Amino acid sequence: MSGLIVLFERELKKWFGRRPVLFMSLVTPLIWIALFGKSFNLNALVNISAQSLIPPQLQGFIDPKVIEGMVKKALNKQLKSMFGTTDYFTFFASGMLVAFCIFQGAFGGVGVVFDKRLGYMRRILVTPVRRSYIFLAKLFGTLARISILSLLLLGTSIPLGFKFKPNLSIGDIIMPWVAVMLLSVFILSIYMVMAFYTDNQEVLFAASNLINLPLMFASNAIFPLKQMPGWLQTIAEYNPVTHAAYIVRYHLIGSPIPNYWESIIYLAASSTVLLAFSMYYSVRKMDMGV
Amino acid sequence: MPDNCAVEVMGLTKRFGDLVAVDKVSFCIPKGIVFSLLGPNGAGKTTTINMLSTLLKPTGGDAYIHGYSIIRDRGEVRQIIGLVPQDLTADDELTGWENVYIQAKLYGLPSGKAEEKTEEALRFMELWDHRKRRVSTYSGGMRRRLEIAMSLVNEPRVMFLDEPTLGLDVHSRRHLWGLIERLKEQGTTILLTTHYMEEAEYLADRIAIIDHGKIVVEDTPDGLKARIKGDRIYLRLGEEEAVSVVKALTEKGFNASLRNSDSIIVKVERSEEILPELISILQGRKLLEIRVVKPNLEEVFIELTGRGLRGEESFDSFKYRVMRRRMR
Ligand SMILES: Nc1ncnc2c1ncn2[C@@H]1O[C@H](COP(=O)(O)OP(=O)(O)OP(=O)(O)O)[C@@H](O)[C@H]1O
Ligand SMILES: [Mg+2]
Repeated sequence: MSGLIVLFERELKKWFGRRPVLFMSLVTPLIWIALFGKSFNLNALVNISAQSLIPPQLQGFIDPKVIEGMVKKALNKQLKSMFGTTDYFTFFASGMLVAFCIFQGAFGGVGVVFDKRLGYMRRILVTPVRRSYIFLAKLFGTLARISILSLLLLGTSIPLGFKFKPNLSIGDIIMPWVAVMLLSVFILSIYMVMAFYTDNQEVLFAASNLINLPLMFASNAIFPLKQMPGWLQTIAEYNPVTHAAYIVRYHLIGSPIPNYWESIIYLAASSTVLLAFSMYYSVRKMDMGV
Repeated sequence: MPDNCAVEVMGLTKRFGDLVAVDKVSFCIPKGIVFSLLGPNGAGKTTTINMLSTLLKPTGGDAYIHGYSIIRDRGEVRQIIGLVPQDLTADDELTGWENVYIQAKLYGLPSGKAEEKTEEALRFMELWDHRKRRVSTYSGGMRRRLEIAMSLVNEPRVMFLDEPTLGLDVHSRRHLWGLIERLKEQGTTILLTTHYMEEAEYLADRIAIIDHGKIVVEDTPDGLKARIKGDRIYLRLGEEEAVSVVKALTEKGFNASLRNSDSIIVKVERSEEILPELISILQGRKLLEIRVVKPNLEEVFIELTGRGLRGEESFDSFKYRVMRRRMR
């Protein structure tokens, strides 16, 4: 166990030691949230002036305020049914929590490649430490990083206008974290297999270009499923990112979720299967010699 | 198996596809000595060490470290060995102390004991004063010493040092030799690979010369040097002259042969007595350089393998064939 702990500590030390990297990874979510979340301002749509909508022969008979109210109500209803909230910023920010672990997951894999390239992996492998600990230390290191960054992401989105659902309980904070962790395990497992397969970090960079954006866009992280064509909806429903986003939004902002337990089980199962395969493969690779 | 062997290697083989990197290598390293694998680039030294330290699975054969098989008892082997790899492996984002401490913990030592061993190792390698610095600020010599310190925390009974002084200047190299000697005095068995023959000559009790994955010869440094009787005289002449000089010398009963297009090697028993005669024969020739070499490991190596240990001494078979044709 102490081997696992010391390797885990190393991961964190390296992260905190890289000041520019630390700084950038803290600032990135801030910028994403502030720019993307606020640039897509749906609420502006709703703020119409009804004066021009009223035909001339009815001018004076109808109060523009009533029309405005009706239109607003209709649009809000439409928005609510699409996003689960009338506030796109809150929808986006909660989606970012999920999308962010897709990008962070890739970094965990790159760390393994560099440990192999720089010979550090060989250094650990000559000691009797359990091979699975080497894998798990990287996994936990990345999860810890994602936890800190997610918390920060959520923290910074509050002053920018994030609206929690009323009566937030402790569970409503813990369950989104669990969902984010499960999704991170899923993503990281993919990258760990690649990292133990190759000695070239370029493979991981290329793969992240290939995988990350499709994973993000073929899900409800940024846009709701309802406005997608049918085939894409089908794909998105099998995407663990979608289910993680469902759970996060259900708990944080009270969006409806098609089937709560189905989402939890699907997410947990797909992460577990991938994790088991990834760990088996990595340990085997380490055993065969790096 | 004789139980005085700290390391007993039996028919160890490693293939990479078609390439046989290590070819049925066998040797025994008696407890407490420094054993050196001496060979040129690509000879198979690192591959051998990687197999012995359980990093690489052999294609064939086996080896025993204090009786533990490197194939079947890998856990036990890892517990009693230390490896200093050829490349620098310390994490340069961490400090020297952190690097060594992590190693100690990986051997399962409890924190107090790990701290104690970390201090011991750093002091032994004379790095204690630099322990708080990031490794990225270390000099080459300090980094090499740190590599050894990292391998000392489990008090290994057998140490594998893969080219531990690669790239160091003469001063740092001698300093490191001294530390390696002290390690030996503490009773550690050391397997050292190198392609610096001075290093093998200085440190090793026994030397195995390895080439193309095979052990060519194994002996004590003196035993090896005794294999080449007498001195070597290297002559460098004008291109046109080399062939005819060989002819002239051979006619006078000298053991002379062409080395490459412009140089000749003459094997003699005692160069001191022969030189005057040799110079008189060379009168009127365009002699550019004359070099007398006393028996040393480099010469043994050239004798046994037909080429030098270093790149610049390497035997150029194409050139040689061209020369042979010209000589006929
Ligand atoms: N992973 C590998 N895959 C394929 N070939 C390899 C691999 N590792 C080593 N080789 C080959 O095996 C041979 C022996 O290599 P090795 O590194 O053991 O030599 P060495 O004696 O340590 O050389 P050097 O003095 O350059 O370190 C070389 O021809 C090398 O190219
Ligand atoms: Mg080598």
